Amino acid sequence: MATQVFKIPEIYRKNAKYTFCPGCDHGVAVRLVAEVLEEMKCAENTIAVCSIGCSVTLYDFLNLDSLEAPHGRALAEATGVKRAKPDKIVFTYQGDGDFASIGLAESMHAALRGENLTAICINNTTYGMTGGQLGPTTILGQVTTTSPTGRNLEYYGYPIKIAEHIALCDGTAFSARVSLDTVPNIRKAKQAIKKAFEVQAKGLGFGFVEILSTCPTNWRMSPDKAHDRVREEMMPVFKPGVYKDITEG
Amino acid sequence: MAVDCLTDKKVLIKGNYAIANAAVLAGCQCYFGYPITPQSEIGEFMSGKMQELGRAYVSAESELAAINMTIGACATGVKAMSSSSSCAVSLMQEALSYATSDQLPVVLVSVMRGGPGLGNIYPSQGDYFQATKGGGNGDYKLIVLAPSTVQECVDLTYKAFYLAQKYRNPTVLLADGLLGQMMEPVTFKPYPYPEIDNSDWALDGAKERDGRIIRSYAPLADNQCVFLERLYNKYKLIEENETEWEEKDTQGADIVLVSFGSTSRNVKTAAKILRLKGIKAGILRPVTLFPFPSKRLQELSNTVKKFVVVEVNMGQMVYDVKLAVNGKVPVELVHKPVGAPPSPEEIAKRIEELL
Amino acid sequence: MEKDFIIAGFGGQGVLLAGEVLANGFMLDDKNVTWYPSYGAEMRGGTVNCSIAMADEEVSAVQKSDADFIIVLNQASFDKFTSMVKKGGTIIVNTSLAIEKRIRNDINYIFYPITKMAEEKLQNIKMANILSLGILSKVSGLISLETLEKALNNVIPPHRRNLIPKNLEALKLGYEYDLLKV
Repeated sequence: MATQVFKIPEIYRKNAKYTFCPGCDHGVAVRLVAEVLEEMKCAENTIAVCSIGCSVTLYDFLNLDSLEAPHGRALAEATGVKRAKPDKIVFTYQGDGDFASIGLAESMHAALRGENLTAICINNTTYGMTGGQLGPTTILGQVTTTSPTGRNLEYYGYPIKIAEHIALCDGTAFSARVSLDTVPNIRKAKQAIKKAFEVQAKGLGFGFVEILSTCPTNWRMSPDKAHDRVREEMMPVFKPGVYKDITEG
Repeated sequence: MAVDCLTDKKVLIKGNYAIANAAVLAGCQCYFGYPITPQSEIGEFMSGKMQELGRAYVSAESELAAINMTIGACATGVKAMSSSSSCAVSLMQEALSYATSDQLPVVLVSVMRGGPGLGNIYPSQGDYFQATKGGGNGDYKLIVLAPSTVQECVDLTYKAFYLAQKYRNPTVLLADGLLGQMMEPVTFKPYPYPEIDNSDWALDGAKERDGRIIRSYAPLADNQCVFLERLYNKYKLIEENETEWEEKDTQGADIVLVSFGSTSRNVKTAAKILRLKGIKAGILRPVTLFPFPSKRLQELSNTVKKFVVVEVNMGQMVYDVKLAVNGKVPVELVHKPVGAPPSPEEIAKRIEELL
Repeated sequence: MEKDFIIAGFGGQGVLLAGEVLANGFMLDDKNVTWYPSYGAEMRGGTVNCSIAMADEEVSAVQKSDADFIIVLNQASFDKFTSMVKKGGTIIVNTSLAIEKRIRNDINYIFYPITKMAEEKLQNIKMANILSLGILSKVSGLISLETLEKALNNVIPPHRRNLIPKNLEALKLGYEYDLLKV
């Protein structure tokens, strides 16, 4: 007898087809968000704020009320949505450039104010949509189209460790970094995403998950190799883990 | 002194407080702002009042954040606003461009000070271009209302919320440091406009319907063509329905003085001085800067011998007047770069020199 | 008819408040009125002033380059504003903080030790501003003491109500300035 082991969450738009590149982890990340909202039975009460970058297409896949923010301003717009409608579940889905470069002020201040919001940030160490330029999370030595000989300190300085910084904000209720390179890690990622929504639902403050993701196209790698890179190059710099959880002890 | 009341009794109040109190009475549910002189009283008043009423107030980390928070709140269908001044309104241009494309009823109070750059805190009309032509990208228009008295600060704040909702278009109340800081007696009548039903577009959760998307991103060129045509049809409608101006003594006038905002107070008296000297001077004051009363100016150009535009900047509105008059009769400029407007006597004298 | 007033002094002397009380009084008398401050960097200590214009018709210019009545509460303001009194106009000078000196003969001077009076009679130098309004009421004949009393009640915020009796005393003291021996 056949057993169903995988099911597309109901909250996907009908006939939605991913436009993400093959091997890109965005697809998995979006599905995890969808599964969490479905399990929490709150999709009908949710407003998504999409950011600029590959992440903006979220609204093409999830059948949610969605608002598109200018580059970097997702958490400002989410703040406006939530303050206007405090009973809604409001989340942002952003890339690392949006969250931690152009939008760092908005991101940090949303966390500092302890906004009851959930922010999901995809860290793929590059600007994906514009063709693989150096971003705030590009790791030292990494070659990009704007760091042709690799990220060096003289020209570019250091990458930002987002989850650790957000954990330092007093208004943050939950901050974690996860990866999607293996099935067990995908499970952990989903738990973290769920937690980041639960703290919002309980009114405990800012919930944040940084997801280490692949960008096979701009990394010029096969999906397999890209996940190897997540493990071998990214994880030593961006260590997965829960950096703050006020619901634990 | 801050007054918070709904009253037919006259109260003496600063322009900034009048605007803030009117916004509260208009039903503004959310205020987002960042301090800047000469409009800080608006945020100060709102910080107390909104909390007292259980409405939203956020002391934003920047004007970038403030205007985007306003967009977020407006997207849910509530009335929301921000306020700021010149160099900080510059920071908001990107979001205003988005808000026109998102078709969101953002209300922004812009209390002009001297520029460019940090400039100074004194009154100015140097942001006429900023408000009417925009600093954001793409083809768009903001509805722009220009009060000239503190009572108009109240009445046009009401109107700003109404027009923003009615046309789903960002609307700017363009005041200046003089109006913001001066006091004048006003009355606060109830919000006089009908509430606009926004249940067909506001984001409130996709319950028993498909998720709505408020966005400005149109990946296909054709889509964007269709969208812009539609947007500009809306602007045409706004021009037909909402153009507002004040006109006096233009019948049989040889010259018509055109001015807006606080400057028009002095210009009215200047026109009186000129008439006492036997010069047939009338005035025209655009109340809406977009839509601009171009048609009326065009009509007047058939009978008037000269237009004189008076403004406190290096000459901005004068271009819109020239465009309307289209070379039919001369359009002259009397201006002061920054500060309180020239005195009526000085305006009259400088106009006489032009004749 | 339009009458223009300027009140000037140090930041902290309460000139903006005095101006607001005057403007509020004119409003109560059903006049058109505007109040406009010098605003900006100076919070305390710098010179500060406000213009009040009162008219039967609409008030046009809000910032005034001259006035019918000018109150100066310190020397710097006396120096600055003397030239701005309209011909035939009046300047009220606080001689506690400015030297009595007539440099124009086409205006009226009222010299009076306003701060000293506030200190001696009211034990509070901060009352100088309202005391000067009492003088203005008498000198100008354009606003009554009763109206100014009502205006004071409008302007002083609820949490400062306890200051009203003292301010009313100051108004009366100013109004009787010419009957008092200083």
